[in-house]
Amino acid sequence: MLTGTLVLSLVGLICTGLLLIATRRFNPDDQEVITLILKELPQTQCAQCGYPGCRPYAEAIATEDAPINRCPPGGDNTIRALANLLGRQALPLDTAGGDGVVKIAQIRESECIGCTLCLPACPVDAIIGAPQMLHAIIGEACTGCELCIAPCPVDCIDMLPLEQPVVTPSTTALPCIHCGDCIPVCPKQLTPVQLYQQDQSLDVLASLRLADCIECGLCDRVCPSNIPLTNTFALAKQRLADREAVVLVAEQTEQRVNQHDARMLQAQSVTSKPDSSDDLLARLKGQL
Amino acid sequence: MPEALVILLTTIFVNNFVTVQFLGLCPFMGASQKFDSAIGMAAATTFVLTLASAVSYLVQNYVLVPFDLEYLRIIVFIVIIASLVQFAEIVIRATQPLLHSILGVFIPLITTNCAVLGVALMNVHQAVSFVSAVLYGFGAALGFSLLLIMFAAIREQQPDENIPMAFRGTAINMVTAGLLSLAFMGFTGMG
Repeated sequence: MLTGTLVLSLVGLICTGLLLIATRRFNPDDQEVITLILKELPQTQCAQCGYPGCRPYAEAIATEDAPINRCPPGGDNTIRALANLLGRQALPLDTAGGDGVVKIAQIRESECIGCTLCLPACPVDAIIGAPQMLHAIIGEACTGCELCIAPCPVDCIDMLPLEQPVVTPSTTALPCIHCGDCIPVCPKQLTPVQLYQQDQSLDVLASLRLADCIECGLCDRVCPSNIPLTNTFALAKQRLADREAVVLVAEQTEQRVNQHDARMLQAQSVTSKPDSSDDLLARLKGQL
Repeated sequence: MPEALVILLTTIFVNNFVTVQFLGLCPFMGASQKFDSAIGMAAATTFVLTLASAVSYLVQNYVLVPFDLEYLRIIVFIVIIASLVQFAEIVIRATQPLLHSILGVFIPLITTNCAVLGVALMNVHQAVSFVSAVLYGFGAALGFSLLLIMFAAIREQQPDENIPMAFRGTAINMVTAGLLSLAFMGFTGMG
């Protein structure tokens, strides 16, 4: 009886010991920490931290004590969140691979062939475009991950340093000061400042090639008065399209009337004397 | 070597634990909805079964028999199996988080998989050496894996089939398992 108790206790103790060692060795809590870290990372998979993606970086932070300030897309917010999460000190951003300058992608418009290959590559959907159309990068959304550079067949994407901090467009627009900053940025060589002035007259807007506006939003970004130019142009384009639709319907109706008249005239000349239905019937029978 | 082959073939086909001895039916039915989870379950069970049969053989022959404690056999084996399952869960959770989330509750349920305890108990009478005990456990695990994966593959095809309403769900699974079992009965007498 005593041996039985002893042996059973011994087996239990050995198993417990082994399990404890295994728990230490494989530490399942690591996974939860990794998941939490991963949630804080921006998921751009840009590998600028020196690890092949966000999960490897999270694993490195959790298990290898990797520095928490290697994530340029996340910036200071991510560093602060990670510091809170891990109880470490928030450090200034350290771009291990780059030169410390925050860069965003920009497309050289003259060379873009509209192949759409860069669209799926962008992890944050910051590139807009359609087949055979010029693509544009939404600067505010671009994280500078450089993933769009590899798929571009004509190498028309540059990484340009961000000269000024990105201004988030405020909802309160100030009056236009006619600075003309919006003119050089327009990829379609339009003059947004003029288009905005002529907002009411559709004829002038049409002559200023309003229909060519691709609503890329570049003029919004540079406008110092924070005027929602793209939105204004979109509405004006809609009015222009509506007016053109009315003109088109009128033209089509007129065309149909003219065609109808011409057909009637021709029918009259063929049936020289459309006297009565009996005559017509007799003629048809003769033909048969 | 030919002896090892005989043990493996016997446990995989002739004396298959699921279809012939009807052990381990709970995970057989429970973990076979999806092909991927069936493969994970098969791997985990193989790991536990092989180790359990090895450890239980050692404990039986070097601890229980010398101290004349064979009446403690079942409880000691269950403690060993439970620890091994816990160990397997820790390893899977740390190395394969995705698989761990797929298998979920089925990993702890290996503890109550009667095939594991069944192999350990049968080894007491059948195994003549340590190697044969390990092979016996490994063969049983392979047989279980084969059946589990086969069954999962069949069940994945089920939604495409026009099964009569009354037979859908558990009923058709039982019929399928029965047919599989019948097929495996055909191996009887081969060993």
